[in-house]
Amino acid sequence: MSHDAHAESHEEHPPTTIREYVMIGFVLFVVTVVELWVSYNEQILGSTMIPVLFVLSAFKFAVVVAMFMHLRFEHSLLWKLFSFGLILGTAMIIALTALFWHDRTDAVGGPEYHTGSTQAEASAPGGAAPAPAKH
Amino acid sequence: MAAAAHETQPATQHATTTGIDNRKVMMWIFLASECLFFGALISTYLIFKGDSLVGPYPKEILNIPVTSTSTFVLLMSSLTMVLAVYGAQHGRLGMMKVMLLATILLGLGFLGFQAYEFTEFVHEGLGLTTNQFGTSFFVLTGFHGTHVAVGVLYLLSLLVASNRRTGLGRDRALHIDIAGLYWHFVDVVWIVIFTIIYLIPN
Repeated sequence: MSHDAHAESHEEHPPTTIREYVMIGFVLFVVTVVELWVSYNEQILGSTMIPVLFVLSAFKFAVVVAMFMHLRFEHSLLWKLFSFGLILGTAMIIALTALFWHDRTDAVGGPEYHTGSTQAEASAPGGAAPAPAKH
Repeated sequence: MAAAAHETQPATQHATTTGIDNRKVMMWIFLASECLFFGALISTYLIFKGDSLVGPYPKEILNIPVTSTSTFVLLMSSLTMVLAVYGAQHGRLGMMKVMLLATILLGLGFLGFQAYEFTEFVHEGLGLTTNQFGTSFFVLTGFHGTHVAVGVLYLLSLLVASNRRTGLGRDRALHIDIAGLYWHFVDVVWIVIFTIIYLIPN
């Protein structure tokens, strides 16, 4: 046996089989279809729609990272490294979104401000200028 | 003595305290930093998407059926990529090459869908500087598309190298595994972007 072949024969690899990989791919496809169904049926789910979409998205994310990227079978150091970046990134999204969510500063001077009624309301004593609606 | 010991070690093997190859650790650190990069772009999109003073607005222009198809294409490319890694790790070179080629073609398919979407948006009046939605949308999805394009070139270089006599050699499985990590990360980022931009009502 050559040195190269010897080295390759002892290489460690995840225990997942081809059949299992295909099944995981099918599950990801089904979850994507469910996401689309949820997205088109806002009236059925109401306020739970966005949390449901986030849970489904997080599930797909976790499955790909754990099974396709093999993080489930890797050294804990790699899991810690990736989690560190992921937690920081998620925290940054939450913090920045919360910080700017109600900031309408950039909206001042929008189309509503140039209509007659809005200008009248804004110039009326004690009248507050309404912020443009979110689209 | 040390020099003699060094010479007996294969050139591509590294002894590390963790037992993990340094190149693989480096890729994971890079991907962790990419979480922050895309986190910043996603935050920007979430903050600015509703602040446009002029149209087109997200609800008027986003084409969910087309993007769902491109999402399916990218998901399937993750499946073919993991099968390429499987082929490399189990010494099935034919399978590895076919799956690498399939991943490249699916990646190109995704880029084609994105080019179509961008072109349609421009024809409907949404450009990079049209409004805040347009700016944040094109920057976020454009950077993701750039990552896919880089991934396609990365996989193409591995496919070409695997066909050369002096190609990937002993480290073949590790090279494909590391490239797979990058490709799967691009896929998981799209999972998040697809939910935030297209599925959550605007």
